[in-house]
Amino acid sequence: MSTTLYLLLDRAEGSLVRLLGLIERRGFHIDQMVLTEAGSERNLTLKVRGSDGSRSPDVLKRQIDRLYGMRRVACDGTSDGPDECCAKGRGQPC
Amino acid sequence: MAETAFERDLIGPMRASSPTQANAAPLPEKMQTGATLLIRALENLGIDTVFGYPGGAIMPVYDALVGSKLRHILMRHEQGAAFAADGWARVTGKPGVCIATSGPGATNLVTGIANAMMDSVPLICITGQVPTPLLGTDSFQEVDILGISLPIVKHSWLVRDAAVIPAIVEEAYHLATSGRPGPVLIDLPKDVAAKPAHSPRAFALPNDGDVAAHVEQGLADATALMRQAQRPLLYIGGGVGLAGAAPALRRFARKTGIPGVATLKGLGALPTDEPLFLGMLGMHGTKAANLAVHQCDLLIALGARFDDRATGMLASFAPHAKIIHIDIDAAEIGKLRGADVGVACDLKYALNLLDPGPLAIEDWVNRVCETKQAFAWRYDAPGDGIYAPALLKALSERAGDDFIATCDVGQHQMWAAQHCRFAQPQAHLTSGGLGAMGYGLPAGIGAKLARPHAQVVTITGDGSIMLNIQELATLKRYDLALKILLLDNNALGMVRQWQELFYEERYSEVELPDNPDFVEVARAFGIDAFRADKRDEVPGLIERLLGASGPCLAHVVIHPRENVWPLVPPGRGNHEMLEEDAR
Repeated sequence: MSTTLYLLLDRAEGSLVRLLGLIERRGFHIDQMVLTEAGSERNLTLKVRGSDGSRSPDVLKRQIDRLYGMRRVACDGTSDGPDECCAKGRGQPC
Repeated sequence: MAETAFERDLIGPMRASSPTQANAAPLPEKMQTGATLLIRALENLGIDTVFGYPGGAIMPVYDALVGSKLRHILMRHEQGAAFAADGWARVTGKPGVCIATSGPGATNLVTGIANAMMDSVPLICITGQVPTPLLGTDSFQEVDILGISLPIVKHSWLVRDAAVIPAIVEEAYHLATSGRPGPVLIDLPKDVAAKPAHSPRAFALPNDGDVAAHVEQGLADATALMRQAQRPLLYIGGGVGLAGAAPALRRFARKTGIPGVATLKGLGALPTDEPLFLGMLGMHGTKAANLAVHQCDLLIALGARFDDRATGMLASFAPHAKIIHIDIDAAEIGKLRGADVGVACDLKYALNLLDPGPLAIEDWVNRVCETKQAFAWRYDAPGDGIYAPALLKALSERAGDDFIATCDVGQHQMWAAQHCRFAQPQAHLTSGGLGAMGYGLPAGIGAKLARPHAQVVTITGDGSIMLNIQELATLKRYDLALKILLLDNNALGMVRQWQELFYEERYSEVELPDNPDFVEVARAFGIDAFRADKRDEVPGLIERLLGASGPCLAHVVIHPRENVWPLVPPGRGNHEMLEEDAR
């Protein structure tokens, strides 16, 4: 089952490779990626799929959220929709 | 690319950084280079000691060190610098700083950075880099350390503009120490370090905000679960010590009477001789601790991450328990074991707020205490050779409350965790997550520099000591009264133990009969050393080692077939531990 992540991150050197590396190291495949630049920020939509059933998108979301320079993270399939990114506060579990 | 005339003028020949640096004249203000800005920024943050090893690309920084207030400790390997900074950081609670040059200097830091990441240690790693025009050209000593270190740092910067250096250093300090601590890396190209900078920019400290309402609600839910529980248990991780929450934990544990177990890194948060402390849990944990986890109906995980060495087979870990998981790092909650109540917040805050009132858990407490007594350690080993567990127990008790052990990795590490007395958190320094042999000696150097009056003992083995034995030279150079207890079983003991138990005694590359004479090696470095191999020598050994006024190494020969017990076999639950008699 795939999950779509909606991300807003700083447009800093290495920020993309940092993010993509984290997702793959944590056991997710990236099936689709859409990137748009917006000034000093980047909007990114990623469709990801866990390599096995034990991989939780919600945990992945929190691991992404602790990346420095990550402004907003949301994913479908959790209680937070894309317009409610981390509504409970940075770094808090859904 | 050749150095610019400006660089040539600025850098000059390499100078000794210690102890002559204090007498050198500081650079004039008009010569504020990137390197000078870096040093000034570290000084302004209150950092007074850094660990490092010079080389080509980092030369501007070493030049700026001359005349600075920073005390530079010259290690003999960059890995030693990272581990020493780690030991310093764990003991002081402040970030450790290590410095290396580009290429091999930077890659030699990698194990130390990974170690800090796994064990949540605040580290600021500064690497030299080739000049920016040469980046990406495979130039001499160029390596993409930013790319190499991406998975093992909280964040990293490749500095392209000297004006941002003060802001980056402040940001790095803040990031390394805030939330869940960890390592950060600043990669500084040589030309950026050497050029003058104008109008340095300031770093705006982020507002971390107030405690969110859901934290209050989470703690209220946790309190309610505690009131319902009949068999609650504290599962104490390294995060308690990192958060400075040990006093709050002790108050909470004594007030509620809830018994506790600790991870390898959580040892000392509750004093190990506390009546309701049941010992370390996990692969080499006590029977009392592992059985309590198996039987409890509420497990209160505090700054712990459900590491596989602690849980054994996860599916059978605490099978009857609801879980309260409190941790500063939200990404840890639910990562491996779902939490009935998960609260991402500062542990000190949480433990000061949690107050479930009187709990009716007398039967449970009596039960775990009886188990603890029934399966207490025994020290009556046969023979007249030195029994390492008994030696470690006696040594730590003699060293007193100010005892700090820095351990390597292997059997001696587990014996130290099982048998040493730890009265304080962060008194048991060990490479817990990464399991890096070679950690003990340089970490001991960092710890002893940080706490000169503490009784710091490096507990190591004949395998581990060889991985960073060059740091004996550092020990001598700074004449640090670090004590080294080297337990020698002529083998890579833990691997040998596993080959004995799980590979049908097919011993492969674990015997070390050709070890050097460690006493002679230590003496060659100018360090006092002696050997002991009989049990009746133990009292004198302890007195001589702990009483030495300078660095001292005790080479202790132990039985080559001694194993660490109990042991949870791989793929089994913690309640299925093997014991020596049942093997």
